[in-house]
Amino acid sequence: MIDTFSRHRPLTLLATVVLAQVLLLAFQIKRENNVRLIRYWAVQLMTPLERAGTWTFSHVGGLWSGYVGLRNSRAENEHLRSEVDKLRLRNSELESRSAEAQRLETLLNFHESHPEAPMLAAQVIGASADPTSHTLFINRGERDHLRRNMGVITPDGVVGKIVEVFPSTAQVLLINDKDSGVGALFAVSRTHGVVRGSGDPEPHMEYVINEEKLQAGDVIVTSGEDRIFPKDLVIGTVGSVRPGNPFQTISVQPAARLDRLEDVIVLLSLQELAPKKTEESPAGTGVAAAAPSAPRSGGIVSDPNKFKPAPAVNKSPAPAPPAPQQ
Amino acid sequence: MAYMMNLGAHSEPNVEVHKFYGGTVLGTCLLALVFQAFLHKYGRWSELIDLPLLVTIYFGVSRRNPVSGLFLGGAIGILQDALSHDNPIGMYGIAKTIVGYSASSVGARIDTEHPLSRFGLIFLFFHFHQAILALTQRVLLNHSAPLFTIHLFVDSLVTAAFGVILFALLDRLRKSS
Repeated sequence: MIDTFSRHRPLTLLATVVLAQVLLLAFQIKRENNVRLIRYWAVQLMTPLERAGTWTFSHVGGLWSGYVGLRNSRAENEHLRSEVDKLRLRNSELESRSAEAQRLETLLNFHESHPEAPMLAAQVIGASADPTSHTLFINRGERDHLRRNMGVITPDGVVGKIVEVFPSTAQVLLINDKDSGVGALFAVSRTHGVVRGSGDPEPHMEYVINEEKLQAGDVIVTSGEDRIFPKDLVIGTVGSVRPGNPFQTISVQPAARLDRLEDVIVLLSLQELAPKKTEESPAGTGVAAAAPSAPRSGGIVSDPNKFKPAPAVNKSPAPAPPAPQQ
Repeated sequence: MAYMMNLGAHSEPNVEVHKFYGGTVLGTCLLALVFQAFLHKYGRWSELIDLPLLVTIYFGVSRRNPVSGLFLGGAIGILQDALSHDNPIGMYGIAKTIVGYSASSVGARIDTEHPLSRFGLIFLFFHFHQAILALTQRVLLNHSAPLFTIHLFVDSLVTAAFGVILFALLDRLRKSS
């Protein structure tokens, strides 16, 4: 560098002197708006640099603030996620409580609808460990005066019967257990049969002759012949019908949701549950009629004809089924 | 000025470097500037001749030192600017600095003693000087100064002719080698 300068010293000096004079000129010359040329040049020279500096600072600042903001966002995000998890848990808890309250309200309403029949609300506390056995445990037992063969229902329909009683718990055999059998009849045709468990989620209704015209959705109620359930409690509806030899194969869709039972009612007597008058609508259509596939008139059929407005029922007499072996 | 004249004393070894008596360079330059200003009072014909330019060229080619040439040219030009009433200081300064440097460089390489070569040299430097002035005015002042006109051409011829005579007179101020 120094060698280069020494070698080209005259030229360097020339450039320096000329530049100095150019600057001197620029100091004197005034452009538009009475701005000195040197100021104009200085502004022209510095503006891009300032602009570049501003751009750099703003972007670096933006990057930095973005990075810091990102870190804050991350922490905030984690906090919010935690908050959301808590709220979800809380929401789930509240939903659970709400559902429980609704179930209890339904039970209470059901109980209040039938003050003549002694019944006891119970909570499902467990189920059978055997996957082929459809049983469950309730939190009532001998201390609550429960006995074997007491019927267990929900406001939706029949659940099963008590098969074992312990001091504080009882075991309930569900209607879809293969050892279960409930005296039943079709709500419309009054044709008798037996609803038996098959080990599948859906029990079957047996001893219904092939001539009996059935449709999916036909309501099946208790007949009261098994001396366990009062008459006309809803068991379920016809799911599918296939002709058999000599009886039809009828799968029953239980009215009670047997796979998600939480609260049940134990019937302490065979007292028949009379339908409450207030449940009838002014037009004469009951609640069950409003929802024929899922009658909810306290699980009791008040007017079976209301479930099927235009039933094509074969009124031919069916052979009397054998008494269910409970 | 004398100090400036001593700067960068080395030049081509095979070309004669002319020396002048003390104060000759300074006095001649001042006289050129004074005459230029004095003659200007007596008519526009004085504009035909640029005495400071001739002095710059002469001492540049005679001393054959680019550094002293550029400083001398710069000083003469700035003084010329200072003596004018409307020129910003530096206009002639820049032009004569470059001319002084160029004249010194050229003088170190070619023979500048012959009148014809002097005429041609002055003619060329006149237009070179004019070109720098025009360029400076265009760039810095936004003035549309002409690069070449007939008037300038005549000026250059008159200046070159006068320069040949002036250079011969100035030769007498040299120290005899």
